[in-house]
Amino acid sequence: MMMDWSTPYILSTPVAIRTLEWLFAWSAGIQTLEYWRMRGAMQGDGLWTWSIQRQDIPDPRLRQWLDALFKPNLFSALLVFRLLALISLATQGSHALNIGFLFASNVLVLIRWRGAFNGGSDFMTLVVLTGLLIAQLVSHVGGPELGWRAGLWYITLQSITSYFLSGAVKLLRPEWRNGQAMTIFLNAAIHGPLSNRHWLRKSWLAALGSWAFIVWECLAPLALLDARLALTFCFIAGLFHFLVFWFFGLNRFFWAWLATFPAIVWCAGQI
Amino acid sequence: MTIYWVIGYFLVLVLTLLYKTPIVRGPWLFLLRSFFPNWKFFHAVGYVPHLYARAAIANADGQLAWSDWTHLYPRTQQHFWHLFHNPVTNLGLAQQNLIDHFWADLNDAPDGSDPRNFVSYQMVAHFVAGVLKAQHPTHTHSQFEMRMLLDNTTETVHTHVMMTSPVAALT
Repeated sequence: MMMDWSTPYILSTPVAIRTLEWLFAWSAGIQTLEYWRMRGAMQGDGLWTWSIQRQDIPDPRLRQWLDALFKPNLFSALLVFRLLALISLATQGSHALNIGFLFASNVLVLIRWRGAFNGGSDFMTLVVLTGLLIAQLVSHVGGPELGWRAGLWYITLQSITSYFLSGAVKLLRPEWRNGQAMTIFLNAAIHGPLSNRHWLRKSWLAALGSWAFIVWECLAPLALLDARLALTFCFIAGLFHFLVFWFFGLNRFFWAWLATFPAIVWCAGQI
Repeated sequence: MTIYWVIGYFLVLVLTLLYKTPIVRGPWLFLLRSFFPNWKFFHAVGYVPHLYARAAIANADGQLAWSDWTHLYPRTQQHFWHLFHNPVTNLGLAQQNLIDHFWADLNDAPDGSDPRNFVSYQMVAHFVAGVLKAQHPTHTHSQFEMRMLLDNTTETVHTHVMMTSPVAALT
């Protein structure tokens, strides 16, 4: 099928909002179910026991409040309520109540994991949640159209920035430009070193792969010029995140960034 | 009009790459750092902190007989379904993030400070004790080391020990 570049393409606002809400509910639902399975690591001999981590909290009164909230039963209840709020988001759409609760509980869960559990995916999950919160808050003041415009643009700028900065810092490093960094990071990845005969051990292929991703990431802002360009960009981004999952085990990155794609395509149609 | 705002925004981003700003630290900034995303993933190659631990048992003479050092580094298998549910791998990644934070705490600490006061130290010590008790149920003592490893594309080319913990009783 050929793309029609002559007529403007715009993703409708209701479709963009519902797709974003559904993808975010799916992404955060996967995270919440994983937290549920990790409860053993947060008790007894587990690495993440609150009895040690509570020293991170500087304020004694807040520490006592969190002591109560992070007791195993209450924390489990918090996760169950998060799942219910996500189901409500997926089926009913966003509302000040479910988004407000998801935002507050997300901050609490992050504090339970010393500020971030998985780094980048936590950042992007919070970005989308903040965008949804902005949409709710601004809607109350300036109407839904302005609210969603503000929320979707916030998510888009953060998402495009993440690609652009990630590519630009690599462009400045010689070990990325010659491909060595990719092989070194892959060797240190959680799935173990690359096999001796792996294709990424060939230096020219590693350099080619590095350059492909660096150039693509640095050109990310151009995706905003046209919604069809944005769709193409998001398709490549999906492949990129799948490869990152496959080699580094970062499944949360895949879903967290995927949830931003409807916002990118919508914003590209607005310029 | 929107396009000019977008162009202006990315020009500012380019400037932030060229000019370094001072690092602001604080306990709340650490706990709420997800509000200030750092999108510079996997950018620099260099020394990487790794955790090693060993256990000991007292022999007939009362001397401690030590096991070999064990490299506590998470490793998991690839599987397509982990795209949807991956708690073991994610816990392993969080464990390695903690080691990175422990290294940062050590690196930023003033000379003469006691690393045992760091929350990250206590968490690592707790983790090491749990692993060693499972691996060596009859052993009585533990010790761990933070080593810095420098890799090239095929092997580790240099290692140095950044910190060795005091010997602790395995309770």
